[in-house]
Amino acid sequence: MKSNSKVSLLSGKKIATMAEYGYRDLTVLKKSLRVIGYLCVGIVAIMLYLSIFIIFIYSVNSSSSTTSFGHFTLQWYFKITEHRMLSDAIFNTFLVSICATLISTFLGTLVAIGLHYSSKKFRKHTMLLNNIPLLNADIVTGISLMLIFSLLLKLFPYVFGFPTILVAHIYFTLPYVILNVLPKLSDIDPNLMDAALDLGIKPSKALFKVIFPAIRSGILSGMLMAFTMSFDDFVISYFTTGNGFDNLSIWIYGSIGRKDLTPAVYAFNSIVIFGAMLILIMANIISIRNAKRKKEYENKK
Amino acid sequence: MNKRFRKMAIPYLIWLYLLALVPTFFMVVLIFLDMEGLDTDNIRFTFDNFLQLKEVSTLIALLNSFKYAFISTVICIILGYISAYVLYKSHIRNKFLVLTILILPMWSNLLLRTQALANIMEPHNIITDLLGIKVNENMSLAGSGIAVVIGLVFTYLPFMILPIYTALEKVEPMLEEASLDLGANEFQTFFHVTLPLSFKGVVTGSVMVFLPCMSGFAIPEILGKGNIVMIGNIIEQFFKNMNYNIGSLLAIVILILILVSIAIVNKFDREGETIR
Repeated sequence: MKSNSKVSLLSGKKIATMAEYGYRDLTVLKKSLRVIGYLCVGIVAIMLYLSIFIIFIYSVNSSSSTTSFGHFTLQWYFKITEHRMLSDAIFNTFLVSICATLISTFLGTLVAIGLHYSSKKFRKHTMLLNNIPLLNADIVTGISLMLIFSLLLKLFPYVFGFPTILVAHIYFTLPYVILNVLPKLSDIDPNLMDAALDLGIKPSKALFKVIFPAIRSGILSGMLMAFTMSFDDFVISYFTTGNGFDNLSIWIYGSIGRKDLTPAVYAFNSIVIFGAMLILIMANIISIRNAKRKKEYENKK
Repeated sequence: MNKRFRKMAIPYLIWLYLLALVPTFFMVVLIFLDMEGLDTDNIRFTFDNFLQLKEVSTLIALLNSFKYAFISTVICIILGYISAYVLYKSHIRNKFLVLTILILPMWSNLLLRTQALANIMEPHNIITDLLGIKVNENMSLAGSGIAVVIGLVFTYLPFMILPIYTALEKVEPMLEEASLDLGANEFQTFFHVTLPLSFKGVVTGSVMVFLPCMSGFAIPEILGKGNIVMIGNIIEQFFKNMNYNIGSLLAIVILILILVSIAIVNKFDREGETIR
């Protein structure tokens, strides 16, 4: 804002302008920054979704070439089950991640409850070690587990495969469950447990009747995270599998190396994305509706 | 009476010792040995493995890892902070929706996404075919350093946005209002109040982007097409060729870098609230 100080008509004295008080007009700068901001969000959105869009195009492309588009088709979606290797890999992926998620959700919840009631020193020590699987590089985790499992080879020559990959997945998904459940436990009213015990319930039963319902949301979000991590894992699975037990990532890595990736795998990937989108949108609608209902209930009170 | 629940945590500590600490010590021992695979027949004690650290190929790989991870992290910080800030300032107060948008791409297979990116970096690709554009043959990005950086940024950007968004959400809005009331303009408020208070999100995000960028091997392999070798590729090669000793040495090098990064994060984010 360019303006020199004016002279007052009444008193003849100089009046300081806004600019002299240190005010600067930033409207133009603000507007341009806002445009840059939205541009950035747009770029980020493209970055996140470009490859998924390309994968979707491949999945409806009649030609199996990655450079030319024939015509629109849904044939690859029906060929997923026909391709033996692919359907085996998909089955293995689901087998490993569902088993690992269920086991680590159950065990992780129990461990979190145990940690909640443990001494502060013990809890701190365990939580420090709990960060190792979380923050360690995948390649180091994979190699470490492979080395440990190799020690078992003399006793069980066929241990590599489903058992090792399952243990590895439980190993790196447990910390997510624990980290999601632990904060919910400290939100519980401690008297709740005491009341349940006073009323004559067994502690083991109180666990299922009192604590589990109270930490349900933490368990669910931990479970979702564990499944996401397990489902998409490549590096740790790559190092800990064996005896021809391939999950989807390992199979894709091999196929990329051999340059014979079938478009059916793009179709499967698109199904997963659409499924996840549907589930997440539904969960979103449900949570909004619950929040509204809660508000109405509180208003009535 | 709650003491009986304590017992449930003890097996987990043993499990962590067994699967997290024991293998690390095992790797440290392996560094000083020379043997074939895990065969104990021709085992001998040696310091020769350390010579690998002086090899040109290892040094180039380490340098590449640092260079590409650093460039990708800086790009992620800039794009990630701006978009997290715009999301935070927008009227979408629905965190679940933001999380959904960011997490959804992770459900798609990492390798497939990378391969799709590799395909569209070729001069002839599905988009040029659909749009009917002719691209100059020399315009190919495939196999270049830029391709690797693009792959790393596209893949790990959500890991930067999430912690920054979480940190921004925890900034007390009243502090910003107070700053504005006291005469600071929006920019001064941002640089003196919002940015310092959300800085721990940036640190956490940087570590969560930098570490996987540095240690990964699939993205440089697919997008670099063998031209760009990073430390992860070398480790993978050594383990594939059953040379566990040198492989362990390089893995321990990465582990040390990780420990340093965790120490940095702990310094900025004591409560660990942005790590999730």
